[in-house]
Amino acid sequence: MDIVKGYEKEFEQLVEIYEKNTNDKSLRSTGVATIIVSGNKVVGLNSVKGMHIKSKERADGLVMIDVEIEDNTIIPIPVHLCTGFLKKRGEQILKFNYIIGSNVKVKFKSHCILTKVEKLHHYMESDMYIGKNSFVTYEDEHFHDEGGGVFVETITKMKIDKGSFFSSKFYETKTRVGRISVVMDIELLKDAKADLESKIYGREDDIIDIKEVLRLNGENSSGIAKSTVFATDRTKAHVVNEAYGNAPYARGHIECNEIVKGYDVEVSTLPLLKVLNDKAELTHEASVGRINQAQLETLMAKGLTEEDAAEFIVNGLLS
Amino acid sequence: MLELRDIKYSKSGNEIIKGINMKFDEGKVYCIVGNNGVGKSTIGYIIMGLNDYKPGEGKIFLDGKDITELSLTERAKSGISLLWQEPARFDGITVENYLKLNRNIKKEDIEETLKLVNLEPSRYMRRYVDKKLSGGERKKVELASCILLKPKYVIMDEPDSGIDIMSLDMIVEVINHFKKMGSAVIVITHRKEIAMNCGYSYLICAGKVFLEGDSKKIVSYYEKTCDNCGHVNYLEEE
Repeated sequence: MDIVKGYEKEFEQLVEIYEKNTNDKSLRSTGVATIIVSGNKVVGLNSVKGMHIKSKERADGLVMIDVEIEDNTIIPIPVHLCTGFLKKRGEQILKFNYIIGSNVKVKFKSHCILTKVEKLHHYMESDMYIGKNSFVTYEDEHFHDEGGGVFVETITKMKIDKGSFFSSKFYETKTRVGRISVVMDIELLKDAKADLESKIYGREDDIIDIKEVLRLNGENSSGIAKSTVFATDRTKAHVVNEAYGNAPYARGHIECNEIVKGYDVEVSTLPLLKVLNDKAELTHEASVGRINQAQLETLMAKGLTEEDAAEFIVNGLLS
Repeated sequence: MLELRDIKYSKSGNEIIKGINMKFDEGKVYCIVGNNGVGKSTIGYIIMGLNDYKPGEGKIFLDGKDITELSLTERAKSGISLLWQEPARFDGITVENYLKLNRNIKKEDIEETLKLVNLEPSRYMRRYVDKKLSGGERKKVELASCILLKPKYVIMDEPDSGIDIMSLDMIVEVINHFKKMGSAVIVITHRKEIAMNCGYSYLICAGKVFLEGDSKKIVSYYEKTCDNCGHVNYLEEE
């Protein structure tokens, strides 16, 4: 691991917070590809065979990171992307550019550690191209400050080439959200598959905006976009799921489940399905409301109180 | 003993249960039979105390104590349990966690129970209790859940629905398992093979107990008369 001189302390602090929240000790391991960003500085980098990472910090605060993975590369241990902010206030702007070759197998684990801030705007823009017949998974977990002063904005645009599979999991369930806006826009070429899942737990006056778009442009491409939001207290949540069936035998499914608890919650969901090819097939499923009564009664009939039953159900949904 | 005295229940102005009396002793197997729509499941829900099934009149006694006003959770804690006809599905909850339900239950006990309901533990423990389970698999998981609750009174609402015909023997075995445990088993069913294994039966017609007694006699009467009858309002028409 190359730790930038003078930033050893920040590196240690971020790794400690990460380990405390996840019990995962792999960030310090030499065999693990890692990118660690603190504020507007890349403080730690470690690459593995077949993977190339370049970073650049601009004077205006923008941090640019290019990740390239060569064709036919299999990375057996997940690649860690750790972005953190250790000051009380500020802005963090990140731009990731991924080029993933053909026949690649890789898993990214992204963690956003924003637990010590009072007011922060974290903006992350990512572009990802996945070559042919590759298998890529991306897990993104966020840890925010409990004061609610974090505003996270992420925009991801992707192109998945022939025969590749991409899966994404975005979780913000363990700490307060603050304000979050997640946009994920994916183009799928022939025989490509995508599976997107986001789970967010809103508390107090959190604001949640999710937009997931599947552009099924290739023949026999398929995708699922599923969002689950548990909105409590005065949370405002708005979810938009879109799927475009533009090619023969393209199949897409979008699903949004928003569970509310509290009288001042405001939630909405907007599905959009558009078919431009008569052989494409799109479906959607949505539910907004209280915890399902049949589920509650099933558990209460086993002796759980209504509160315990609700917690049991929500823990399952957000797990 | 669990006892229903003069229970009446109405929904949207319609009287569905019209004054029924029933008694259930621990360690015995009972059957509630009758055509579709006569109120069999409603009786089960009233005993369990589901939210929309509070009786308008009458009392329910458990070991001499009036439990009519007890909530669903309190009744479950008193030892009453319900095997749902169509159990709910749960995203993100594994079979193992569903069966544990925040309690300290040994893994071996869970595995043993899964085997009893014809589910191979290694194949099912980590699966989710969600839509991916077939109707029959979900029903078997629910049976396992009921067994692990060790209820004093278990209401089995159509235990064979959604389950393949090959598993009927397993259901009879589970009923006998409950009996051995000392539970009172209240089986709501149409199926002769299951009803014949019960000791005492109540034949329900139009929200009333029309006949009661030895299961073989009741089932025989039901087969000859009610099975072909087709209507559900016998008493009203009479």
